[in-house]
Amino acid sequence: MTSLSSSAATARATFLPSSCRAAPAGGSRRSRLLVARASSSSPKLPAGRRLRVAVVGGGPAGGAAAEALAKGGVETVLIERKMDNCKPCGGAIPLCMVSEFDLPLDLIDRRVTKMKMISPSNVAVDIGRTLAPHEYIGMVRREVLDDYLRTRAQKAGAEVLNGLFLRYEEPKERNGTYTVHYNHYDSSSGKVGGEKRSFEVDAIVGADGANSRVAKDMGAGDYEYAIAFQERVKIPDDKMRYYEERAEMYVGDDVSPDFYGWVFPKCDHVAVGTGTVTHKADIKKFQAATRLRAKDKIEGGKIIRVEAHPIPEHPRPKRVSGRVTLVGDAAGYVTKCSGEGIYFAAKSGRMCAEAIVAGSANGTRLVDESDLRKYLAEFDRLYWPTYKVLDILQKVFYRSNAAREAFVEMCADDYVQRMTFDSYLYKRVVPGNPIEDIKLAVNTIGSLVRATALRREMKNLTL
Amino acid sequence: MAMATSTFSPHALSLKPQLGPKPHRLHLAPFPRLHAHRRLAAAAGEAPVEAPPSPEAADPSPAASNGSAAPVAAKAKVKVEAVEAVASPKFQDSRWVNGTWDLSRFGSTGGAVDWDAVIDAEARRRKWLEDSPEASSSDDAVVFDTSIIPWWAWIKRFHLPEAEKLNGRAAMVGFFMAYFVDSLTGVGLVDQMGNFFCKTLLFVAVAGVLLVRKNEDIDNLKKLIDESTFYDKQWQSTWQDDSPSGPKK
Repeated sequence: MTSLSSSAATARATFLPSSCRAAPAGGSRRSRLLVARASSSSPKLPAGRRLRVAVVGGGPAGGAAAEALAKGGVETVLIERKMDNCKPCGGAIPLCMVSEFDLPLDLIDRRVTKMKMISPSNVAVDIGRTLAPHEYIGMVRREVLDDYLRTRAQKAGAEVLNGLFLRYEEPKERNGTYTVHYNHYDSSSGKVGGEKRSFEVDAIVGADGANSRVAKDMGAGDYEYAIAFQERVKIPDDKMRYYEERAEMYVGDDVSPDFYGWVFPKCDHVAVGTGTVTHKADIKKFQAATRLRAKDKIEGGKIIRVEAHPIPEHPRPKRVSGRVTLVGDAAGYVTKCSGEGIYFAAKSGRMCAEAIVAGSANGTRLVDESDLRKYLAEFDRLYWPTYKVLDILQKVFYRSNAAREAFVEMCADDYVQRMTFDSYLYKRVVPGNPIEDIKLAVNTIGSLVRATALRREMKNLTL
Repeated sequence: MAMATSTFSPHALSLKPQLGPKPHRLHLAPFPRLHAHRRLAAAAGEAPVEAPPSPEAADPSPAASNGSAAPVAAKAKVKVEAVEAVASPKFQDSRWVNGTWDLSRFGSTGGAVDWDAVIDAEARRRKWLEDSPEASSSDDAVVFDTSIIPWWAWIKRFHLPEAEKLNGRAAMVGFFMAYFVDSLTGVGLVDQMGNFFCKTLLFVAVAGVLLVRKNEDIDNLKKLIDESTFYDKQWQSTWQDDSPSGPKK
């Protein structure tokens, strides 16, 4: 790997140099392969022709990728199926996304500063006491956020097409172009169905979500997914006041065996939902249980929309193939435990675009697989710990009702809250205070032991 | 309802059956009594004494409904599109006051709190909630925290009955390990204590006795290890197609 980094990193000073450290220390066989495919040897594009990249999907991942590509001098085409798509989604974004992506503050409908976690035995804990006055979790509407990011990509020079991606064709020769086939929707003629069109590109970024067609075409393999079910409920104003800056999370076997049920505030309504991986058939039952647990607080509300969508549980087995790669939900970047994906989608889109821009020397050279792999290596290096920690949390604390009780008890602690919010809002892992860590570990084990003991007692009970 | 509640609690003396008006929450569903009795009949495993015929259920008696019949009717009308949830009977216990256990009612004769009874009561409450989850409410918050029960009460209840067995096992395993080490190496028991390897063995023995209490525990531990590495494998598969040996990081 070192041989590659010395030759390639110097050529591409724009790309984060630390990526080379992140690259896997694979066997010698792979290093040789990578060197052979390194982009310094990849051909320069003819003068006057720039690198052309198709971004499939106009969500946060696609929007962020297209913007960064266009800014980097790459000819970018973004295909989006439905411009005003109102994707079913919690819509929570961390604070660091606002600054990293320069989002205007009016995109944010609600600023959540209080998270209420409610245990199976209805112990409620308010998380957020430790937040500074300027800190909050932003709640956005996806149709607004997606549109904003797309428009910005367009302003940066990307071409935005309204159409449905159908399939792509592999290049005929080694450095040939991919052919993208899509169904063009012309909003002006109002024709139903659209017409089949195609164009040629040098690389494809698949940002088309959980049911990704790009992933299917490239043989990326499947991932486990959770199903999330959500009802948008318009509740009376006096009840809405309670949810003005509050979100609720319900845990318990009744609500979901392996996830949580939520009430999230939206612009003028709340979203009530739940999700599960293991018991998808029972989702309606879990939703009823979530409604019941929130009962008084959403009583009398009208359901204005019901939606369900898949949430990936882990990345696809293959995230890159030739000059085709995946970002966002299509790749499977959703955290466990919290089910967060918007930030990681936008971030992976941008990182992928930056890798392409760097690898193509601002659109003047052809890229190859090793350039795309750099984005993967960098993404995994940066975020793997976050994903792993959340996976452990989910495995330990969503196991049983006893563990959930312990989880809620643990979340009452100020130190836990500060650490949680720091890592959520700023996506950085801050080393904690060792004494506090030990205290926390002891308290957590205590909580777990107590809850498990009670559980054992409960097993012997008949009511 | 009152009868059913008393069948669910064993402390017949300390439990005062709630004969007063029931909370409104019980009657938010269109047919509260029907649900309540069905649920309770199922939970108690016996037929409730005052079995409700269905006509009565459709028209809750004024004594029990406490004047909430009108909202019930109103609710039934908008039921089609409004958010509605089936109410289940609320957990009731005379010692459960304002979202916590009233410790003064758990006193045994000497005035000290009978923690065993508190643990019993909380286990019962949790079991009850597991079977019939309750709506959370910010006015009626649950403030009971299991950490107010002192550590010795937990130890006494959950560890001591097992302690004899565990200590016995640990002693036997330890003795025979010491014996074998001595017979193989000639290092005596006293010298073994100063030896790093022997200390590790001691630690393994104690941890083993604690972790593996039943045969099934071995399988459970194996499953746990598999589970904890599963996610890593899912992430690493990206890097494995051209380098089968190369780990990701």
